[in-house]
Formats: sequence, C-alpha cells, structure tokens
Amino acid sequence: MPDLHGLVYAYHSSPALGELVTPRTSASLPFGSRYRLIDFALSSMTNAGVRDVGVIMQRDYQSLLDHIGSGKDWDLSRLSGGMRLLPPFGMHDNRIGEYRGCMEALSAVRSYIRDIKQNHVVLFRGDLAVNIDLRDVFEAHANSGCEITAVCTESPCKGGGNIRFVPETPSTSRHMVFSDSENTVGLPSIEVYIINKQLLLDLIEWCSSNSKLHFHRDALTHYLSEGGTVGLYLHKGYTARICSVSNYFSANMDMLKAENRNDLFSDENPVYTKGRSSASTYYGENSSVKNSLVADGCYIEGELENCVLFRGVRVKKGAKLKNCVLMQDTIVGENASLSYVISDKYTVFSNGLVLSGSNVLPIIVPKCKII
Amino acid sequence: MKKECIAMLLAGGQGSRLHALTSKAAKPIMPFGGKYRIIDFPLSNCANSGIDVVGVLTQYQPLQLNSYIGSGQPWDLDTSRGGVYILPPYQSAGAKGEWFSGTANAIYQNIGFVDMWEPEYVLILSGDHIYKMDYSDMLEQHKAHGADCTIAVIQVPLEEASRFGIMDTDENGFIYKFTEKPKKPESNLASMGIYIFSWQKLKRYLIEDDNNLKSEKDFGKNIIPAMLGNGEKLWAYAFEGYWRDVGTIDSLWESNMDMLAPALIDLYDRSWPIRSRSPIKPPHYIGENAEIRHSIITEGCDIRGTVSNSVLSSGVSVGEGAVINYSILMPGCKIGKGAVVEYSIIGENAVIGDGALVGSPPNGMTEIKITTCGPDARVKADTRIDAGNIVY
Repeated sequence: MPDLHGLVYAYHSSPALGELVTPRTSASLPFGSRYRLIDFALSSMTNAGVRDVGVIMQRDYQSLLDHIGSGKDWDLSRLSGGMRLLPPFGMHDNRIGEYRGCMEALSAVRSYIRDIKQNHVVLFRGDLAVNIDLRDVFEAHANSGCEITAVCTESPCKGGGNIRFVPETPSTSRHMVFSDSENTVGLPSIEVYIINKQLLLDLIEWCSSNSKLHFHRDALTHYLSEGGTVGLYLHKGYTARICSVSNYFSANMDMLKAENRNDLFSDENPVYTKGRSSASTYYGENSSVKNSLVADGCYIEGELENCVLFRGVRVKKGAKLKNCVLMQDTIVGENASLSYVISDKYTVFSNGLVLSGSNVLPIIVPKCKII
Repeated sequence: MKKECIAMLLAGGQGSRLHALTSKAAKPIMPFGGKYRIIDFPLSNCANSGIDVVGVLTQYQPLQLNSYIGSGQPWDLDTSRGGVYILPPYQSAGAKGEWFSGTANAIYQNIGFVDMWEPEYVLILSGDHIYKMDYSDMLEQHKAHGADCTIAVIQVPLEEASRFGIMDTDENGFIYKFTEKPKKPESNLASMGIYIFSWQKLKRYLIEDDNNLKSEKDFGKNIIPAMLGNGEKLWAYAFEGYWRDVGTIDSLWESNMDMLAPALIDLYDRSWPIRSRSPIKPPHYIGENAEIRHSIITEGCDIRGTVSNSVLSSGVSVGEGAVINYSILMPGCKIGKGAVVEYSIIGENAVIGDGALVGSPPNGMTEIKITTCGPDARVKADTRIDAGNIVY
C-alpha cells in the first residue's frame, strides 16, 4: 500500500459546460456510455492501492453523492479510512462556503489534511478522462526527491489548461509558464500532482495568511520563487479535460476509436463505476449500427452511426441517429432523426422529430425534457 | 435469529447432460441470456420476494460458483441479519464426511443450518431454472390453504409431460397424485421443482427418509410420495408465465433464444430486476462494418462482423467478416476473422480461429443439431466442426 492519500477536486465545474452541469458538477458528468468523470480519478487511485480518498465538493453535489455513495464500487468503503466526503462547512474551522480558488478549497479542509496519516497526497481533478498509473507516478515522485511532482503530457491534452513546466532536466523543472499558445516550450500539466503533505500544509498556510486563492498562480509560483523544484512525470495515454461542451462532445466521440478506449479501459487497471442491474442490449430485426459505443440495457430498433449510448436508452423503429451522445434512459421516438445531439438523462424525443446540431455546436437537450 | 421463511437453493448437480459446457464449472453458474448466470434468476427472485436468507447447496465444481456468489452483494443479499450462505458437504463430529446423495439428503445434512433461523417455512429451489416468480405470493397461498407442502406447478404440453413430475389435483386444488416422469401422463400439471414446506413437517420426513435404506433421498421420488401417502395437505401453486428447465444443450439453446423475445420474459422490467455480478468491462463497441440483427450484446463486446439471432455475453469479440447466426457466445470467447458460427453454443473464453466453420444451419426439414465448444476450447483456423459435435 503506497504512503499516499487521495484528494479529488469535485467542487468546480467549468461554466463552458453550460446546461450539462446544471443538474450536477462536472465530476459527476456522464461520460463514455456508462461512466461519470470522477470514476477515472477514483479508479486510478484504487488501482494504485490508495485506500484513503477525500472528495472536496461545494455545490450541486446531489448527483455526485448519488453516484459515489459509500465508495463501495471503487472498493473505497473500508473499515478504516476509505472514501471521505468533504462538503463545505464540514468542519468547525471551515467557515468558507464559496471557494474562489483551489487554495481556498484546500484551506477549507485543512484540518482534514492535517489529520492525514500518509506523508504524500495526490491531488486529482474530478473532470479528467484519464487512466493514470499512480503507482508509477508515486515511484517517480519518491525517486526524484522533489516535494511535488506534476503529471504532464507531451502535447496539450483535449481541453488542456495553460500551465506548462519548462524542464531543467528530463524529469525536473524550476520554471512554470502560463500560456495558451501551442508553440510555448515546456510540458503541459494535466493538473494532477503528488505533493508531500507538509509542503501542502505549508502552502495552504502561506496562501491563507497572504489572502492568496490559486494553486498555480499563487502557491506553486511562491514555491518555485523560493527555489523549489517540481518533478515531472510524463503520462502517455489518452487524456482529456472536460471543460466545455465541445470538449465533452469530442471526447465522447474519441471513445469510438479503439486506441483511445484501450488507453482508458484495460483489464489490469479497470475503471470502476456505480453498478446498475440492467439486461444486455437488444438489437432489433431492422436495426443498423455502425461505429457506436453502447452500454447495457438499451433497446435498439432504429439506426445508429457514430453514437455513444448510455444505459437504458431506447431507440424506436425508423429512428436515425448520427453523431449523438444519449445519456441514460433517453427515449427516441419512431422515425425521429437526430444528429449532433447530446441528450441528458430521461430525455424523450417525439416520433418523427428532426433535430440537427453541428460538430462545433451540438444541441444539448436538458435532463427530463420532452420534445 | 428467527425468520418466517428461508430459501435453500440446490446448486450441486453436475449438469452432465450439458457435456463440455459444464466440464469446468457447475451448471448454476452457466452464463445465460447475455448478462446473466442461471443462478441469478432464483437469487434475484428471492431478493425481490423479500427472502433474505438463502442457503446455496454446492457439491460439483463449486469454485467459480463460490466466487461468483461471494458476499451476495450484487443481489442485495449481504445483510447483517441474513445473507447468502454457501453450504458444501462437510464432516460432522464423530462421523465420516459424506457427499449429498440426493436433493432431500442435501437438505437433511443441513438441518442444523435451517434450524439456526427457526423458520416456519422453507422454500426449496433449483439452480437450473429460468423464470421470474414472486415466492411471497406462493407462501401466502401455502399459509391460506393450511398446506404442509406447496408445489409450484405449470401446465406443459401433454406430449412433454413424461419429462416432468406430474400432478393430479382435486376440485379444491389439492394434490392427490404425484408421479415422477410418468410413461403415460394423465395430467399436464408439471412440478417446477419449487417447493414450500412447513419446516417442522419437512424435518420429520427428512429424518424418516434418511432411515429408509431403499430411498433415493429425492424430493420428487421419495419425500413428496411419502407425504401424499400419509395424507398430508399438498397444495398446487399454479404458476403462469415463463419457466424453463435448462438442463440439456437443446433446452439451454432454446431458452437463450427465448431471451430475444421480451414478450416471453421481460428482462427490462425494473419492478422485478434480475441482478448479476458485473464483470467490470467497458461498454460494447460495434464497428464500422458490423451488422447486428435481432440479437443481444453485452458490455465489453467488440463486434466487427455480422451477428444475427444470437445471444452474446460480456467481453466477446467477433472479428471482421465473421458471421454469427443462431448462436450463444459465452463470456470472453473470441471469434476470429471470417469464421462462421451457426446453431452453436461457444463456452467461456473459447477461441474460434480465423476462417473456421462451426456448426451449420438445419438442413431443410431435419432437426436442429446444436454444436458446442466447452470453456477454453480452441478451434484452429480454417477447420470445420460439424453440426452436433462437442469440442472439449
């Protein structure tokens, strides 16, 4: 068991996700036919043997709570430790309910962090679609002697942020740059870090006494300016950060490619998710399906091409779907024709309805809507 | 701890009529209908009927069965005041251990387990039937009629009646005659192998039966006739709905095909969910050139060929150009490119090589011959397995 504690950020949703995050946080956004984004953070931790995980939440967390429950599906419901939920106002010394930045969120749970038994903490964004071998990251962190290690990619990942580390040696950096430009030197950070617990507490303390709010802009900049070194770990597999509707749509479409699926879902490091007892998916006599990813419990009598279907979706006779993402229990009526549509849970499309969005602007149909 | 009714599930049979398919694991663990294992049906029925103590009697090849059932969590049976209990044959103090020698003997050897729960009633179930049944309704009838034993019965075609235990009932619905597999059946009311007994009564008969050296220690052959002979009250609980015994290759194949017709048994009905242990696989993927018609596909599958009238369990891959027709593919089996599999049952993790031909369609009016490949079987590329063959 590694000397590592997990902290998942599930308190913030990018506003560019629009209606997708009205009923939920981005951490509980359905993704890839049967998952929620937080499954990737939790599964990466579980697969690395991390047994203690805190989930920092702030608002709109009902759907997140419904999904993660006791943590049982990730083997995080344990007699000692396991998963801990960290809502705002959770502890006596936590008077902040509205986190203006990551350091404020961490500060709000600092008494929790102070009590962590492990000496290292992995900070993991809840809105990533990535399967990281954290054992390997932790080993690199321990061997580098750095107090903090950043997980980076070779080129910016989908929806990637603007934070890069300029390597000093292949595996260390003392220089961080903020840039959106593709041509900037340095390795883009996916904003997953392993950090020594004491450094984390020191940075929280420094930020809080200097009224600083942000992890990179304030805390890490301060750390580097004091002569600190950041270890670099290069993650090679598929990585996407889901920060906008177009990220969301295209990352789902990425799942139609075998190489991306193989990166995210392997038998050795599976991605766990909340179970749902459903039957297998039935394909009718006149169905036609091309290049689609389909969860269990669907009933398909129409035509699908380049679609991602979640559990319990029903596509009736004569319906034609192209480039769509249909969340749980969507019903598509007879002869309806949809393209570039993202339907939220329990959406109903009437018989014969025609609806087309575009690649850059897929149409989002909100939860429970009947059209 | 006192319970009104507990269930005892007979899951120890060898399933020898399934040949290669049960060579590595007991029949109740046989993959079924894509997502399920046979034992999911009685376990889910118990959970849905409010029965929260289930003893599972195991004997033949129990390893997979034990690990599949685990804590009973997938069926919501992992409660602190009940649960699923695996009951293998064991050695009791001062005695030599012995195998379960019959269905009644299996319960006889576990009288101690049943007594732990001080139940009024015991429900006896089989691990090889496909059906959805509310046992609490059956229990209500048992109590309302003051029966000592209630047997679930279903009407079968008279010409098939000789395969079953057949009952005759009087005008009130009580059983006055029970014949196990009669040569000339006089009625078409067949026993479904599902019994509710008043426990104290059953216990007495089990002990008497054990002392009878001529007995085969079987419910249908010994216990029920003995109770009838003594004038006990045996009620017939009439069941209407889908029920199949999947003890043979043909019935296993037919019953899987039935899962393609939701009118027979609706597995999408959320009010009576059949639950199963998930293999933790990603969703299934249907490729650019795939064609799927009238088939069931499960998580983790990767389909590049043509699949029609077939039932695919989790993690099955079907290569480009392969054709699957009227077949059942169990978890993890791999069908190579261009292979043709027709009217076949392919066991878990079996590999069918590229271009191989397995089974063939029924020829004109002749009867269907199902071809089977056992678990982990290997069929080499470009070879031919004729209809009706069994590959180990």
